[in-house]
Amino acid sequence: MDIKIPHSLLTQFLETKASPETIAHDLSLCGPTVDQLHHRKSDDLYDLEIITNRIDSASAFGVAREAAAILPEFGHKAKLLNNPYQNQLTDLGQLPSNQPIKLQILDSSLIPRFTAITLSNVEIKPSPKQTQDWLELSGQRPLNNVIDVTNELTLKYGQPVHVFDLDKITNQTMVLRESKKGEKILTLDGRTHILKGGDIVIEDGAKNLIDLCGIIGGGLSNVDDHTKNILLFVQIYEPKHIRRTSLYTQERTLAAQIFEKSPDPELVLPILIEGVRLLTLRANAKISSNLLDIYQKPKASKPIILDFNWLNRFIGIDLKAQKINSILNQLGFTTKLINQDKISVSTPSWRKNDINTKEDLAEEITRIYGYFRLPSILPANIIPNTQTDPLLKNEYQARSYLSNLGFTEIYNLSLVSQELFASTNLELDPKLVLNNPLSSEYQYLRTSLIPSLLTNLANNRGKTEPPLKIFELSHTYHSNNKTLPNETSTLTLATYGLDFLESKGHLEALAKHLHFDLHFNPLTSPSKPFIQNQSAKIYSDKTLLGIIGVIDPVTTTNFSLQETTIIIDLDFNKLNLKIDPIHHFTPVPRFASIFEDITISSTKPVGNLLSNLQQAHPFIINVSYLSSHQHNHTFHLEFNDPKGNLTQDQVNKIKTTIKG
Amino acid sequence: MTLPEIENQAEVEIVSAQTRPELDVLQVKYLGRNGVINQFLKGLSIDELKNQGGPVNSVKNKIRAIFLSKYAHLNSQETQKKIDVTTPGKLPPIGHLHLLTEAIKEIEDIFTRLGFVRRRYPEVETDWYYAEGLNIPKDHPARDDQETFYLNQNVVLTAHTSNGQLHEMELMKKPPIRMINIGKTYRRQASNTHNPMFHQFEGLLIDKNINITHLIGVSNYFAGQYFGPDRKTRLRPHHFQFTEPSFEVDINCHICNGRGEIDCKKFQVCKAGLLELGGAGMVHPNVLKNGGLDPQKYTGFAFGWGVERVIMMKHQVTNNLRELYTDDLRFLNQS
Repeated sequence: MDIKIPHSLLTQFLETKASPETIAHDLSLCGPTVDQLHHRKSDDLYDLEIITNRIDSASAFGVAREAAAILPEFGHKAKLLNNPYQNQLTDLGQLPSNQPIKLQILDSSLIPRFTAITLSNVEIKPSPKQTQDWLELSGQRPLNNVIDVTNELTLKYGQPVHVFDLDKITNQTMVLRESKKGEKILTLDGRTHILKGGDIVIEDGAKNLIDLCGIIGGGLSNVDDHTKNILLFVQIYEPKHIRRTSLYTQERTLAAQIFEKSPDPELVLPILIEGVRLLTLRANAKISSNLLDIYQKPKASKPIILDFNWLNRFIGIDLKAQKINSILNQLGFTTKLINQDKISVSTPSWRKNDINTKEDLAEEITRIYGYFRLPSILPANIIPNTQTDPLLKNEYQARSYLSNLGFTEIYNLSLVSQELFASTNLELDPKLVLNNPLSSEYQYLRTSLIPSLLTNLANNRGKTEPPLKIFELSHTYHSNNKTLPNETSTLTLATYGLDFLESKGHLEALAKHLHFDLHFNPLTSPSKPFIQNQSAKIYSDKTLLGIIGVIDPVTTTNFSLQETTIIIDLDFNKLNLKIDPIHHFTPVPRFASIFEDITISSTKPVGNLLSNLQQAHPFIINVSYLSSHQHNHTFHLEFNDPKGNLTQDQVNKIKTTIKG
Repeated sequence: MTLPEIENQAEVEIVSAQTRPELDVLQVKYLGRNGVINQFLKGLSIDELKNQGGPVNSVKNKIRAIFLSKYAHLNSQETQKKIDVTTPGKLPPIGHLHLLTEAIKEIEDIFTRLGFVRRRYPEVETDWYYAEGLNIPKDHPARDDQETFYLNQNVVLTAHTSNGQLHEMELMKKPPIRMINIGKTYRRQASNTHNPMFHQFEGLLIDKNINITHLIGVSNYFAGQYFGPDRKTRLRPHHFQFTEPSFEVDINCHICNGRGEIDCKKFQVCKAGLLELGGAGMVHPNVLKNGGLDPQKYTGFAFGWGVERVIMMKHQVTNNLRELYTDDLRFLNQS
């Protein structure tokens, strides 16, 4: 979470000559990051990023405590001032003996600490200028002296505080309990929430809900200009309840963000005392009840044993015992020597949730010492004996070669819309729909790259002249009967403005480059979005790799594509398995070859004629296709006898055996 | 044919030849193993051979000379032809790898030199590998930061590549582990500068006696190799559930040289002279345990950095990640 702290407020708790720039720089290196330091007319303002486990530093005092430990490491003197933990109940003098309210807590696990006290004769007026300035700088609106005290306390100490108008609490009775499903509460921001049940709430003597605890106060018991008697209220709530309610009601208030991260229960009473002090001072209020403090002190956590040898091995440098002790003490840890190499470390109350292991202590010591002071060393250990998946290498080979053939690579999003797939007549997988999509545009995991590539072609119309050649190599997703879907490496090529054979030639070149077998069978049944008569299934040996074909006019019209659009869609996982990791070479022929062109008249597909020729005679070592004229097809043949020079007579004899 | 006839005919043919290939054919015709001159010699009796040896050689030499001068003539004709070398060449087809592919390859190669092995682990992942096994319990506030897409309660689109950590420990069974997992990641964030999909690379090194200085060493090695020799990284404290301690890794800005000058505000990724590279940390003992390794015996570090981020930092193509995902060939063809 991000907070804003004015410099003049920070120096209420920190005595130092260091400039705001220095403080910002040093804090960022060793503690909370100062995202920005703003210079305002009358003050400087720190924008700080408070990491989730350090809720203890989400306040002016918390930041000052960090700064007091950090600045001396940079040679700047610094001292922590006005430590609230020193506030004593006796500071409030003799208290009346009456209880502030009639209280019933139905489930004590909801509220680890509950404190309250009443004050009377409050005079509502504006806050002093200093308070108003601090609140405004930190992004809050000053309201009146009473409400502002609660916000100022949170800003200063990171403990949320609430004030009720005591006279608006019917019978001055409070029942703290879990809400029931369907209960309604009006909150201070004017919203009415219908609760899901299990939220921490307070009802008054008339059974009205007057507080959505730990999140936002109720609208029935708020302080206004006529308020005379108030109930000052400082608590700690069970964090998971707070988080759940705050998330679903979308009340991500500062209080909720603090309470869900378990702030220090030991700070509750000191802040109540501070609150009484400020209200007495600013609203002329008089204490009118005893203190109500319900607190089951948590069990003291076990001290952590820290071995200096382990620590220095883990950090990689040699820190002396004295340095380690002084850093820990400065941060509020108490240390006890066990022997020369070991200390026992007790965690201060405000770090109980965050510090549990010796690694946690190592972090504290090293960050204050300064990560930036550590040396940079390349680890010289044994290297693991393992190989990367050949798929990854082959994917790169394919991409790289296609770019050499003039194709441009595209990266599209894996998330697609239903409309996009509908326009290509391709099916999405109903199991691969997001539970919480951002919008319908990014709702499904795509089962095919084809719609994305057609979109790419369409987007380039009028910008880049055809012919266009593009490809994408990415995962497609397919559900199965397991928990996780298959992620299939898929290679899809699209050409725009090339004819079928030109487009197909690129695939054949890729196959030659990667050394995998390739053949084509005409489509025997319709397959969207291809024209059946102008498409083929692509095989390698007996494995179906995919499909090549001309896109049907219905689809190209949907994408406003006017020129011939051809898609080559390949399952790269399967293709990858057809690439032999070791390619074998054959020796070149020792004797001269004879080359001849022959023309065959036949109605069979050229592919069949070609494979017949390849198998026609062992001396025919190469066959290539030249051209066709109606049913006459011309091929170029290389004849070679591995055992000696062939004569023209021999070649002529072989030719007579060739049939269409 | 008589010798003079041969000589005459050869001269006529040679002189009228227009190209070198024609001349090559004539040379074989007259002077080759089965050429006219040798045929003439074969037709002679032994006596005639004695007398005719001299004249035949003389004709042969004459023809040879005519050939030589004709070759010279054709050669000089050829070299006198002028080519306008400023005319643009005829281009073969030129295609383009995507910037992301190039960056991923470069990253892979850098870490391969340090003995890391490239892996790819699922993008669609169970909650265990994605969060719970990485020390992020259900309903922990740290889950807020993750902006995760869910397929169902237990299956997510990974918002980071750290899900590879436990997979790698399970695959290798014991250290040494040096992995670089590069893959697609997803975040539920909508803005003009963010994409719901991007790429990350996750490094993981686990062994005996691995410490923070090694993480710094590897980070600096990457920075120097990828960005240039004068680039250095710096660690700042941060928090991730799956590392302890955790760091944010910064790299000094090459434009303002780390000074954080006002001019550098143009380059928006630069913050006070530093660019945020991404998160890192020492692998949390609970994560090691979840991966079946003994945290008393082994330590390690991990980092997860954005591929698009390092591209933007290096090439200054754009400050806007979305623009890297354009399909406009006028941009992609610059690659």
